[in-house]
Amino acid sequence: MATDAGALVARATGVALQAHGLSKRFGKKTALDAIDLTVPAGSVTALVGPNGAGKTTLIRICMAFERPNGGRVEVDGVDPWKHRSEALRGVGYVPQTPAVYRGLDVDDHLAMARSLHSGFDAEYARKRLNQLGIPLDQRADTLSGGQAAQLGLAIALGTRAKVLLLDEPLANLDPLARREFIQVLIDAIRSDGSTVLLSSHIVTDVEEACDRLVILGAGKVLLDCPLEEARQAHKLTDSKSPPPGGIAVGSFAGKGLTRLTLWRVPADAGEGAAAATEPASLEEVVLGYLAAGRGTTGLQLN
Amino acid sequence: MRARIILTLKQHRFETVAVTIVCVGLTLAALIEAYRLNSLNVPLSCLQTYQFGYADPSQGPISAAQAHCNELAKSFFDTKSSLDMSLVQLLLLFAPLLTGIVVGAPLVAREIEQGTAPLSWALSGSRRRWLLGKVLAGVVLLAPLMLAVGLAANVLEGALSPGLNPYASFSNYLGRGVIDVFWALAAFAGTFALGTLLGRTMPAVVVALVVCFFVRAAWDSGMSHFVLRSFAVEQVQQDQQNQQGGYVVYGPGGPAYADMNLYYKTFIDGKEVTDAQRNDWYAQNMVCTPIPTPSDSTSPAEAGSPGASNSPGASSSPGAPATPGYPTTVGNGGIACQGPTVDPSHFPQQIPYVIPGSWYWQIVGLESGILLLGSLFCGAIAFVWVDRRRPY
Repeated sequence: MATDAGALVARATGVALQAHGLSKRFGKKTALDAIDLTVPAGSVTALVGPNGAGKTTLIRICMAFERPNGGRVEVDGVDPWKHRSEALRGVGYVPQTPAVYRGLDVDDHLAMARSLHSGFDAEYARKRLNQLGIPLDQRADTLSGGQAAQLGLAIALGTRAKVLLLDEPLANLDPLARREFIQVLIDAIRSDGSTVLLSSHIVTDVEEACDRLVILGAGKVLLDCPLEEARQAHKLTDSKSPPPGGIAVGSFAGKGLTRLTLWRVPADAGEGAAAATEPASLEEVVLGYLAAGRGTTGLQLN
Repeated sequence: MRARIILTLKQHRFETVAVTIVCVGLTLAALIEAYRLNSLNVPLSCLQTYQFGYADPSQGPISAAQAHCNELAKSFFDTKSSLDMSLVQLLLLFAPLLTGIVVGAPLVAREIEQGTAPLSWALSGSRRRWLLGKVLAGVVLLAPLMLAVGLAANVLEGALSPGLNPYASFSNYLGRGVIDVFWALAAFAGTFALGTLLGRTMPAVVVALVVCFFVRAAWDSGMSHFVLRSFAVEQVQQDQQNQQGGYVVYGPGGPAYADMNLYYKTFIDGKEVTDAQRNDWYAQNMVCTPIPTPSDSTSPAEAGSPGASNSPGASSSPGAPATPGYPTTVGNGGIACQGPTVDPSHFPQQIPYVIPGSWYWQIVGLESGILLLGSLFCGAIAFVWVDRRRPY
């Protein structure tokens, strides 16, 4: 009853995922340091950060794979650690490494998902796999990395979950497979209206699909805003002189080892700001925040 | 759940096929060996005479019929002691444990090793329901196969011991019949619990092999000492019928084949006592004196005083006459013990107890129940732990 009430509140407030003071430590290492995070319902949020930033840990806590040391998290209004079954019923998950059963074919995977998840729509998943030309009778261990990732996504989408948690599904894919994965994801989101939290350390891959950006660094949330705001509110200069009203975020080495500085510029900063600076790409925004988070300027732009 | 079971068996295709081949092969091998022995059609009397040497030619000329009888018996014993027969018997003994370990080890551990557990656990929500499907698949595979192996082992036991009813005898009873199913389930449950705890297949197999070996080795004596002893009935009369037929015991329930194990119980004045109490009794009722040396003028009667004994808790009975004819024993430190000094009718009496073969099903049921309880305990550990552990 309590979980149902939580879900109703979550829907009424339009929040799909919420973390309050969420902390996780592994021995002496702090993976998440009392983070607060809100993922609005219906949004597609890119969770970006370098390796070890805490992206996977955050998603694993949401999946009740890890128990937080402090704070709490709610997925669709339900605490996954306290009410695992209820919480996971509405969550689709794609793990970092495409995990397939070696002895089973593609259709067996869908049958297994159907047997484990009462609401699993096997026909929907089959249709998506057919569109990609993945044979249903092919043994899963003979699938390419991209096909295995597509199978994982098809299973997650087949749950018809309101919330999709994708843990760096693009990390091991070649550029073509990454592109295909993103296209399928965009298509599915448009038709289903799901909330998506997509973690990645490759910004350009998620740029097309996402409408929000969360930057995690060293277990802290460095930036949490709509993607468009992230683009417009940040400027780049190659000097230490700030644009009018600008607040320095971080500096990093650009192409040719030019020192670049990222500035956060308020919307009412005036015309002078635009004239003195270059607009920052999303990747540069991320680099600036990560450099600030590390306290170094060692990040190299590609 | 049916789909889950089928998919689990398909997922563990190698183990499923290997265990099926081994069990079916072993069942057929046991039946073939039994057929080989039965087809010799050796009369029981031939086995008896051959076994006890009555047909030994050195004892005099034998008839043609007796010679034929001898031939048949010899071929029977040759077949019985052949290498392939020994191999089949050995495999029958270990098959339940090995199949249980092979099926149980990868059940959870491989999912964790190969990274598929997060996929399943994310879909299922309830990890216990997920585990239940896998456990049922193992039970569905093992139970009928081990039952077939156990029943074939019973047929073989009947052929190995003509005249013996395998369902009313405790000869090799832990390695045949229905109990095979429960051995396999216990090994299966223990191993998948280990796999759940360790999250690795090979370590689970190794630990399970060691644990199963020790449990199996200690089972006989442990059960005899702690459980079966209390079920034994007094052996009123024992008749060593022949080697094939085992012992016939005339207990309260009438004549029946008996377990080969004898359970000795000690009574003093009609009251059952423990071994420690029996030893205490002897210590208290023995007369112990120092052995006199040539220079020692102390008489044995004078030496028989309290404190002369060096046995813990022992005391002497000063002045009490030793039982006539009772042997004198020499103890440590130059102490001679003699006795007991009481009326022989009050001596501790050791009475052999046995479990009649007619109790076969009760005893098999009891031991199967204990194995089942152990399986459920191991299963409970796995079900608790799977809910708490990480899927990687």
